[in-house]
Amino acid sequence: MTTDEMALNTSRPDDGSFRDPDSQVVHADGRVLRRLSATGRNDWEALSCSSFFERNVAAGRLVATAHMAAEPDALGDGWAGMVEHERVPFVTYPFEWTFGMLAAGAALHLELLRDALAEGMTTKDGYAYNVQWRGVEPVFIDTSSFTPYQEGPWAGYRQFCETFLNPLMLRSFVGLDFHPWLRGSLEGIPVQDMRRLISLREVHRPGVLRHVVLHALFVRKAHGTTSSTRSALAESGFSRDVVITTVDKLLDVVRKLSWQPEPSTWTSYPTTNTYTDDDRVRKLRFVEKVVSSARPDLVWDLGCNDGTYARVAATHASQVVAMDADHATVELLYRSLRSSGVRNVLPLVIDVADPSPSLGWRNRERPALLQRPRPDLVMCLALVHHLAIVDNIPLSQVVEWLATLAEVAVVEFVDRHDPMVAQLLGNKSVVHADYSLTRFQHEIAEHFDIEAREELSAGTRTLYALRRR
Amino acid sequence: MVLAYIDPGSGSMIAQLAVAGAAGVAVAVKVAWRKTAGRIRGRDGHAADEVADDC
Repeated sequence: MTTDEMALNTSRPDDGSFRDPDSQVVHADGRVLRRLSATGRNDWEALSCSSFFERNVAAGRLVATAHMAAEPDALGDGWAGMVEHERVPFVTYPFEWTFGMLAAGAALHLELLRDALAEGMTTKDGYAYNVQWRGVEPVFIDTSSFTPYQEGPWAGYRQFCETFLNPLMLRSFVGLDFHPWLRGSLEGIPVQDMRRLISLREVHRPGVLRHVVLHALFVRKAHGTTSSTRSALAESGFSRDVVITTVDKLLDVVRKLSWQPEPSTWTSYPTTNTYTDDDRVRKLRFVEKVVSSARPDLVWDLGCNDGTYARVAATHASQVVAMDADHATVELLYRSLRSSGVRNVLPLVIDVADPSPSLGWRNRERPALLQRPRPDLVMCLALVHHLAIVDNIPLSQVVEWLATLAEVAVVEFVDRHDPMVAQLLGNKSVVHADYSLTRFQHEIAEHFDIEAREELSAGTRTLYALRRR
Repeated sequence: MVLAYIDPGSGSMIAQLAVAGAAGVAVAVKVAWRKTAGRIRGRDGHAADEVADDC
């Protein structure tokens, strides 16, 4: 038995990999393997021989994948081949991405499809969940989506519209964030719903007439059709060239979609906060010292705002996942990371008081945030007062939760006399009497050892380096 | 033909004709012509599904 076959013996099927009968992702000792049916193996052979595969893997746009030798008996019933994928640093989902990230993922999907069509292949689907991230660079992970092209339209068009295009248009043309919609359904925003959401006044905007208005009209007219539309279109000349034209036009629309975030409390926070220059430097040094001595693989920065401290952590960690609830702030962070060339910070739109739940089949298809790999180090800087005062989460629960996340925590506690906290308390009838530094220290003593502590000169902010007991 | 494990949706496939512009119009005209010819042949006593074989 080869080492690869032994790995298969201890493998566990991925809970989100069951829809395509020709392939199944399995996890074995931290490795990501994919079992293939006879058809899936033929598709893989066609893909691996193509020049676009090699080119896009080299460019980091397609997940690195290698053939693995395994006897059919070791693969299991019905499986005929196996490949191994490179691991992506942290799995995320479209309802956690910013507008710019979803647009970049959409463009990547279409560009790869365009490359595939040029070499006689296509993709079976057009799903936003085919994309993952290495920092701020999107990577297409579903190699089994590629299959030799057969005459007829692209099978993934509806899914592309529902999981990529409609959410982008919702932000761009309707002014609504797409996150609750994508979190509400793994199928995205249905064509008919998008038609109702968008005003006909927007019909002149890129793509609205064709991809929303006419698309919805055809879907309504074709409802209940029993004949094989695909065969009829293929026999009437719906060739690869027509699909290429369709994809080019779709790509043109995606590239034209834009969103300019309006200034919010959080986008202007870096200029309106109350830190002195000296405190800012001391805080940066404190964070850098803790992270550099811990040398973590994965860091979570909760409430990251403009990512100042995530960037510092990124110089000493393999990967930093920077989370903030404010879409505009995270979008600006994404753009800034891309333009500054920081490659190991992944920005995500996540409200830690209401984190991503488990979704899909058996509630296991897309695991909740807290069911994904935990960080080695968590940063929670100037966030505890928001959780305690805005979200009314008891201080004891906040600290207990931090202790479940990581071995090492860097926490900044802001006491009730700080102007920012006073502002939060201003309109609240609940007095939050238990919100105090003394109480906070009592709670952390329950779960952590304090390795370092530093009070900033303003006198209302204290930094802690904590190690879980 | 097993190509899609997802249902591409008949309406979404037809909608791609509108997206493709002139190339899509050419396909749409041919689909309409084949449909009309099929109906006429059907009236003349031919089975509609023979149209596919003729093409």
